[in-house]
Amino acid sequence: MSGLKIVTPNRPSKGRVLAAFTLAAVMSGTMMTQATAQSIDFWTQPQGDLLVYQDTMNALASEFKAESGIDVRVEVINWSVAFNTWLTVAQGGAAPDCADMYWLHSFSGIGGGKYGPQPITAYRDQWPTLEEDFFPGALEDVHWNGEFYGIPWRVDIRPMMYRTDFLQEAGLTAPPANWDEIVSMGQALTVRDGNNTTRWGFAPGNNNPAQTLLPYYWQAGGVMLSEDGKTATIDNEAMRTALKFLQDLVHVHKITSPEIFEKSAVPLDDFTSGSVAINGSMGNSWPSQFDRDYPELEDKWAIALNPEGPENRDSYSGAGYWGVLYGTDQIDACINWIKFLSQQENMQRISEATGAASPRRAVMASESWNARPWQTVMGETLEFGHTSQHATSVWSALASPEPGAVLYDLVYSTVIGNEDIDAAVVAAQARMQTELDRSATN
Amino acid sequence: MVRDKLIFCYLMVAPAMLFTIALGIYPMLYSMWMSFVEYDLLRIQQYGTPFVGFDNYVEVFSDPRFVQTVSNTVLFTILAVSGTLGISLLLSQVLNAKFPGRAIVRMAVCVPWFVPPAVASAIWMWLLNTERSPINYLLRDWGVIDSNIRFLTDSTQYGPFSIPMLAIVAVRVWNGLPFAVIFILAALQSIPASLYEAAEVDGATIMQKFWHVTLPSLKPVLLILLTLLIIGGLGSFEINYIMTGGGPNNLTNIMAVYSYQQAFSFFRFDLASAASGVILILTGFVCVYYIRAQFKGTQQ
Repeated sequence: MSGLKIVTPNRPSKGRVLAAFTLAAVMSGTMMTQATAQSIDFWTQPQGDLLVYQDTMNALASEFKAESGIDVRVEVINWSVAFNTWLTVAQGGAAPDCADMYWLHSFSGIGGGKYGPQPITAYRDQWPTLEEDFFPGALEDVHWNGEFYGIPWRVDIRPMMYRTDFLQEAGLTAPPANWDEIVSMGQALTVRDGNNTTRWGFAPGNNNPAQTLLPYYWQAGGVMLSEDGKTATIDNEAMRTALKFLQDLVHVHKITSPEIFEKSAVPLDDFTSGSVAINGSMGNSWPSQFDRDYPELEDKWAIALNPEGPENRDSYSGAGYWGVLYGTDQIDACINWIKFLSQQENMQRISEATGAASPRRAVMASESWNARPWQTVMGETLEFGHTSQHATSVWSALASPEPGAVLYDLVYSTVIGNEDIDAAVVAAQARMQTELDRSATN
Repeated sequence: MVRDKLIFCYLMVAPAMLFTIALGIYPMLYSMWMSFVEYDLLRIQQYGTPFVGFDNYVEVFSDPRFVQTVSNTVLFTILAVSGTLGISLLLSQVLNAKFPGRAIVRMAVCVPWFVPPAVASAIWMWLLNTERSPINYLLRDWGVIDSNIRFLTDSTQYGPFSIPMLAIVAVRVWNGLPFAVIFILAALQSIPASLYEAAEVDGATIMQKFWHVTLPSLKPVLLILLTLLIIGGLGSFEINYIMTGGGPNNLTNIMAVYSYQQAFSFFRFDLASAASGVILILTGFVCVYYIRAQFKGTQQ
């Protein structure tokens, strides 16, 4: 046994063990304290410049935290994945506490009262002057089935945009003010080179048939659905009038390209390249994009109110809103966050940072929103804003920009395909009613 | 020992198998299940997912739009596969020859492969845009055409063919050529030179050498390539969806696009799964045929 040395491993002293245990306990306690401090997850889609938007939202979150102690974790979702993200949320997928959302009716319908946006009607009195402070069209986008869902914060309003240089060239002093002038001016502005048309006088809207149809249908006095959202109401004179007008632009007056609804059509490129002289219902972000990205077109474009139809001059409008999601246990914190965001000065900041029109009257009346002529017109157009949302959860399917959707097929077959309008409208009415009947939440 | 080796082999492939099961087999089986139930997102919270048997399949086959997509898919696949195989056979012969700058030419042929299909679609959308297409500009400049060709928007039909369908096929062939060329080139280089020498001694012409030496030697590779190209064609999605969305007038709509539209535009995951089920059945036939051909070949 001699030579065999038994080595006893060094054992830490009891004091050291106690110290380590105490440290671990303190650290756990700290982490637990941090975990229980109020924090909410807020998802949002970017508007305008991505980095500017992120910085603005993060700055607002910091200020809110300093004020309330509530930590807001802002996550920006790219628009390319936004729809699928909200579709997943509405089916029970991972969801934030509150968010910047859109298509309230569809996602609420899919969520079925369990997932997706949740009504906050009980908190409606937190905004006692809502109707006075906001444009009515935008408020329609945050109400559904008698419930209140949140605060609209950006408006997709679509006035008419036109090339002032082309109008000048054609001896025109003002853009069209009504449907008749669309035709006469469109003819004066259309330029042909043999068998090719090098410039189309008029594009009625973007390459989404349903979105293009809506303002003309409203201007002809039509409504898509009954107020309860259960009955389709498109088989009427207004629909025939609107479709005939659009159909004639392509096939009779030949001032509108027959390719306007193809996927490869890019309305912004057509306008900037001079292929189109007037766009009757432009993209909401165009003016700020033009200011930023197309300085060479300075003084060559302007916007105006949408031309008046037989009944009115309603303009396409859609609002994004801040709302609360089912599944959160932080409703009060979310309401406080949304209240903070909806303060006039904060909505002003967001609107200026993003360039997005605001549904808040005071913001659109502010100096920053009247520095350029186009900004003033955006504000004026908001008074004619007609919400593009409709009181049915199946609306996004009806108005989908994909072949097979009811409105897509109706518009494409008549306006581009030159098919009989009567037959197409009757068939579309029946199809639309079938889709409305399908929705369980109606 | 053998048992240990087997266990080791299974352990080594287990991670890949798990991924395949989780991301491939399970979604496929779930999709098949969805095709036999009602899975309407607008009704699911209230009515659940009741079993409906073959109703979804009946509904899609009753939709004339879907029937058209089936014929479009078959036509698209036949054209794309024939084009890809034919051109790649020719190109690979050229690339197999020895000439100065061969490496550069090989690299140039592979360039489309580096372009993801979605990016390729976006590029070709610009190249084929009616009013801004440089192709139209050149053709008009050379006096070949008087008016712009509406590559992606002309709804005139010539039998089963249309200009947009042919344009989409051309983009598919362009994007898929490098893959086929590399496959065939590798196989060409493994053909013994002695076979060609023997053929030359027998006085064979170029075409005879190609027909009696090259093609038989390439048969196994061509069979694999044909199978993969057909499966790829039947399940093709991005080029059609991005460039035309299935239009104009449903002329370029194919089954995968129809399935996507049903699910994500109309919220009918049941009909989308039924359409996908049809794709699965068709590709299944192709796979069975290929496996049988391989089996027969092995037995011989």
